[in-house]
Amino acid sequence: MGTDDERDRGAQIDRWLVGKAREGDPQAYEELIRRHRDRIYRIALRITGDAADADDVTQEVVIQLWTALAGFAGTSAFTTWLYRVVVNRSLDHRRRHRPTQEPRETDLAPVAGPERSVVAGEEVRAGLEAIARLPENQRVPLVLCQIEGLSYAQAAAITKTSEATVRGRLARARATLLAEMRSWS
Amino acid sequence: MTGIPTTLPCGRPTAPLVEQVAEGRADQLDAHQRDCPHCRAALGEYVRLWAPVAAVAADRPQAPPSLMAAALRAVRGPGDESEYGRIESPQGHTRVAARVVVALARHLAAQVPGVEVALGGLVADGHGAGGEVVPDVEAGVAGGSTAVRITLAAAYGQDLQALGDRIRLVVASGIREATGLEPVDVMVHVDDVFL
Repeated sequence: MGTDDERDRGAQIDRWLVGKAREGDPQAYEELIRRHRDRIYRIALRITGDAADADDVTQEVVIQLWTALAGFAGTSAFTTWLYRVVVNRSLDHRRRHRPTQEPRETDLAPVAGPERSVVAGEEVRAGLEAIARLPENQRVPLVLCQIEGLSYAQAAAITKTSEATVRGRLARARATLLAEMRSWS
Repeated sequence: MTGIPTTLPCGRPTAPLVEQVAEGRADQLDAHQRDCPHCRAALGEYVRLWAPVAAVAADRPQAPPSLMAAALRAVRGPGDESEYGRIESPQGHTRVAARVVVALARHLAAQVPGVEVALGGLVADGHGAGGEVVPDVEAGVAGGSTAVRITLAAAYGQDLQALGDRIRLVVASGIREATGLEPVDVMVHVDDVFL
C-alpha cells in the first residue's frame, strides 16, 4: 500500500489532476484514470466475481466518471469517492445480472473441493469463487482490506460505516471463508 | 458448512488465530503458541485453508488495455483521432497520431526527476477547432514537425528554470527518436509546486 508519505503525495497529485479534469482537461482525466485503472478493475473483479462483469463495470465507471467529476465535492480523498463509485456499481451490476446468486449468510453451501486448488491458477479461482459467495456486507470489506490492502479507516469511509463495523464484518468474512474452505475438505 | 470452533481445547479463542493467519502473521508465535500443540495445529490448518484467499490477494490482475482504450475513446468522443503527423520517405509516408505525441511527451516529462505529475498537449496553431490537440506537423518536405506543451506540477525546492531545460531536452529527443517528428518547440508550464 505504500508509506504515508507516498499516499499523501498520491492524494496531492490526484487533487491536482481532478482540478484540471474538472476544468475540462481530458489529458488530466486520462492520467487520473491511468493512475487508478488497475485497482478499479480489481475491485470490480473481486466484488462481481466475474471477468466480463468487471469489464462492464470498469468501462461504465471510466465513461461516467468524466461527467460525474462535477459532483465530486472534494471533501474526501478522490480515491474514497472513486472506490465508493466502483463498489456501488459492482454491487448494482451483480444484483442486476445475477439477482438469484446472492446467498444468505446462513445458507452457504459447499461448492468445489479444495483439491482443485492444487494448481496455482485453480487456487486463485477457488478463492474468487469463495469470495463471490460471501454476503455483500462481508465481501466488500474483505475485498477492500484483505485483498486490496486498504486501511480500516479507508474502507469505513468508502462504505460510509465505522471502523468498528468494518473490523467486525471483516472478521465474520474471514471466519465464513475458513468455514467454507473447511467444508470443502 | 462446518464452522470452526470458537475456542481451542487450550482455552484460546480461535478468532485471533484466524486474524493472525489472514494478516500473514502465522509464523509469529507468542509464548503460549510456541508450546501449545492445539494452537500450532490450528494455525497450520488455517494457513492451509486460507491459501486460496491468500492466492487471490497475491494475484494482481491489471485492467485490460483494450478495455481502457475503448472507454477513454468514448470519453474523448469522435474527431479526436483526426490529427496526425506525417513523415515522408521515398517508399511512402508514416502517419503518427497526435495522441501518440501527447502520450509520449507526458510519459517522457514524468520521468524527469523533480516532476511530480505531467500532462502533455500539442500546441494550437490557430486553425483547429479545439485548440488543445492541433499539431502543426505537416511542415517540411521530408519530415514533420510538432510543438509540444508540457503542463506539470514540480517537487518543491529546485531550480525551475533548470527543470524546464531538462524537460525540453528529454522530451524533444524522446519524441524525435520515437516518432521521427521534429519537436520545434517544447513549452514547459509549471502549474504547481508540491511542498
